[in-house]
Amino acid sequence: MNIEKQTVCVSCVMDTTDSKITFDEKGVCDHCNTYFHDILPKWNPEGLDDKELYELAAKIKKDGQGKDFDCIMGMSGGIDSSYLLYLAVEKLGLRPLVFHVDAGWNSQEAVNNIERMVDGLGLDLYTEVINWEEMKDLQLSFFKSGVSHIDTPQDHSFFANMYKFADKHGVKNILTGGNYSTECIRNPLEWMYYQSDSRQLMDIHSKFGSSPLKNYPVTNILWHKVYLPYIKGIKVTRPLDYMVYNKEDATQLLEDKFGYQRYPQKHFESRFTRFYEGYWLPEKFGFDTRKVQYSSLIVTGQMTREEALEKLKLPAYDPETIDEDFEFIANKLGISIDELRGYFNAPNKTYKDYKNQQSIYDVGAKVMRALGMEKGGKR
Amino acid sequence: MIGIIDYGSGNIQAIKNIYKKLKIECKFVSEPNQLDGVDEIILPGVGAFDEAMTQLNKSGLREVLDLMVLEQKVPVLGVCVGMQIMAESSDEGKLAGLGWFDAQVKLFDENIINHKPKLPHMGWNEIQPKSDHPILTSINFEKGYYFLHSYYFECHDENDVLATTYYGDAFHCAVNKGNIYGFQFHPEKSHSNGINLFKNFAEL
Amino acid sequence: MLRSRVIPCLLVHSKGLVKTVKFKTPKYVGDPINAVKIFNEKEVDELIVLDVDATVNDVEPNYQMIEHLANESRMPLCYGGGVKTPEQARKIIKLGVEKVALSSEAISTPKVLVDIANIIGRQSVVVVLDIKKSLFGSYEIYTHNGKKKVKKNLFEFITELEAIGIGELVINSIDNDGVMKGYDLALIKKVREHVSVPLTVLGGAGNADDILDLIDEYKIIGASAGSLFVFKGVYKAVLINYLPELALQKIRQISQT
Repeated sequence: MNIEKQTVCVSCVMDTTDSKITFDEKGVCDHCNTYFHDILPKWNPEGLDDKELYELAAKIKKDGQGKDFDCIMGMSGGIDSSYLLYLAVEKLGLRPLVFHVDAGWNSQEAVNNIERMVDGLGLDLYTEVINWEEMKDLQLSFFKSGVSHIDTPQDHSFFANMYKFADKHGVKNILTGGNYSTECIRNPLEWMYYQSDSRQLMDIHSKFGSSPLKNYPVTNILWHKVYLPYIKGIKVTRPLDYMVYNKEDATQLLEDKFGYQRYPQKHFESRFTRFYEGYWLPEKFGFDTRKVQYSSLIVTGQMTREEALEKLKLPAYDPETIDEDFEFIANKLGISIDELRGYFNAPNKTYKDYKNQQSIYDVGAKVMRALGMEKGGKR
Repeated sequence: MIGIIDYGSGNIQAIKNIYKKLKIECKFVSEPNQLDGVDEIILPGVGAFDEAMTQLNKSGLREVLDLMVLEQKVPVLGVCVGMQIMAESSDEGKLAGLGWFDAQVKLFDENIINHKPKLPHMGWNEIQPKSDHPILTSINFEKGYYFLHSYYFECHDENDVLATTYYGDAFHCAVNKGNIYGFQFHPEKSHSNGINLFKNFAEL
Repeated sequence: MLRSRVIPCLLVHSKGLVKTVKFKTPKYVGDPINAVKIFNEKEVDELIVLDVDATVNDVEPNYQMIEHLANESRMPLCYGGGVKTPEQARKIIKLGVEKVALSSEAISTPKVLVDIANIIGRQSVVVVLDIKKSLFGSYEIYTHNGKKKVKKNLFEFITELEAIGIGELVINSIDNDGVMKGYDLALIKKVREHVSVPLTVLGGAGNADDILDLIDEYKIIGASAGSLFVFKGVYKAVLINYLPELALQKIRQISQT
């Protein structure tokens, strides 16, 4: 096989649109190799043992004794967080407070699903609503900057709010739906830079924003990766890592039990994220996040490479609705379609063109991996 | 190409938005020469009968509409007051209507409305179809449509009645004579039932 | 038969959606356009949008916002806030709104209702009255977000409005606003005796039963609510919602009797 001309991995579907991809002598990419060599041995989905999960749950219950809730769970209305909620309550007997951040882009399906899950499981819901005028200004700043990670304003606010809440209310345990089953292969940094890098966020806003950020929550990597866990003892747990998590089975179960509404693709709970991952990222930058998602499913045996390649033949966005979506995004951001088009056609920039804390992340990642506390991770 | 008559009365934008979402070509028509290429017409209308007739007469479209509808048999759909002006006359006003239907527009008789509120007829009400017409395909009759009016359309020819609604008594909420359709309710503001009605009209 | 209408009511303040309690302490609940979009997808009966700044600040209605909201609604929209003239009413209707609501102007200059009705039709003219109970137990009309008391007798004024001729009357209880412990049923009973135009009540709905009981009692009435359709649970989490399907079915059944 002529490896010089290879563009696609033989094992998954990651390819050279990830400009840093490398292939070994068998034609297997470094994403797969990281999974097989670094993640799989420590994770081992076949030999997964409930025990560790139940021990974890017991600790969370203990930490939360006497309180109104024993943990908080970030809920977007998406399948991962919804399934986790079900698991946490019905299997682990936890009492989570469901935490949702409204960044102004909720789809009707997401709102409906949150309602169904919260009602179906008899839980309490807490929301933080981001000031829309500020969010709009921040999102426009990112469009103007030309970088690829324009969903940072939403993502950053989700985590910042959750950490702030946990800190403020003395909540020791945060549960998230992140999981190796569907996310063991991560979006390359080139595609989606760290959303928590506040230096980058503030720099882009200072260069392109038009009004000050008064209410928007800002976090930073040292605060939530060092201070909160090690000084304040606030732990983030990913229960879905402790089990075999099959997305299709999970979706079916939620549909049957709670009347959950299925989404056509990952991240469709936010109309902006749908537009971003379905259109902006692939069409402007050539970064198709489906390759990442499908590759994760392929290596964990939930999808075949052939299926993935077939699906990738079609565009990531729906050609039927894309004009409408484009107009919707422009209208919502208070700009004309031409202006949005202008940003689309403007030169592509990267996170390196703006101030960033990447060096801190690099150090942190090395330390975590050395201590065996993080498997894989972004690169 | 659907032509939405823009003569100063009616929610033309809402109708255009619906066709845009359905990806069916349509345009606003405010002058006779804009009717070129139009093969189906929507005639919206809100407010008072005389006001609507005056505006239509002033628009310069009256003659060409009569020609297209009565001679050329171009399909036309009238909404609310746009339907009412298709009658001969109205209790509400002094002017003559288009006379496309042998019908009169009358004020609801409050005496037979034995509940409060009385007028206007405001809200979602069911419709009872008189026949199985393709324009009523996929319509949820129980869900019905949104009504907002104090005057109602009364056909003299029973054959022109497409559907009735009950308010005090049964009245003609949908009418049809050949290529001419009229609906008292607001399909542009009746969610999926409305969208389907506009879609069915376009596909006739 | 005609069904009762269940109407989410949205308050706009400084371009954002807010919720108040007894007309005070506005809490930011998000972007109006996204809220309307979600309500539209939930296929709600109708929507009322009130701009609480316009009259107080003596400014024109925000036509651009109104246009955006109208574009998102495949159900009837009633807009109120700062409407004083027939020309403004015409402009608003043209943007795709079905009904225009007046409050302070209707109270100070009732004749304007006739002028506006002549332009947009009486069925599209709505009067909103904000009501607070006095220390002596009588109901008083207020304007300017509950700050200015009106020296008119409520029921005499309602009778006057009936005589002038309007499309709809909306009664908004300041005392029950945002409290979510039920409508002011005594107020509603008295008002209903005095009107025969469509009546819509707002202020206090805390759960689906409040609405169902109201509709069961009056058969045909507009049941409007703000907090109920925007908040959820003890923490008042912001989550757009509407009545569950079972409740909507019950309302349909009531209309059949």
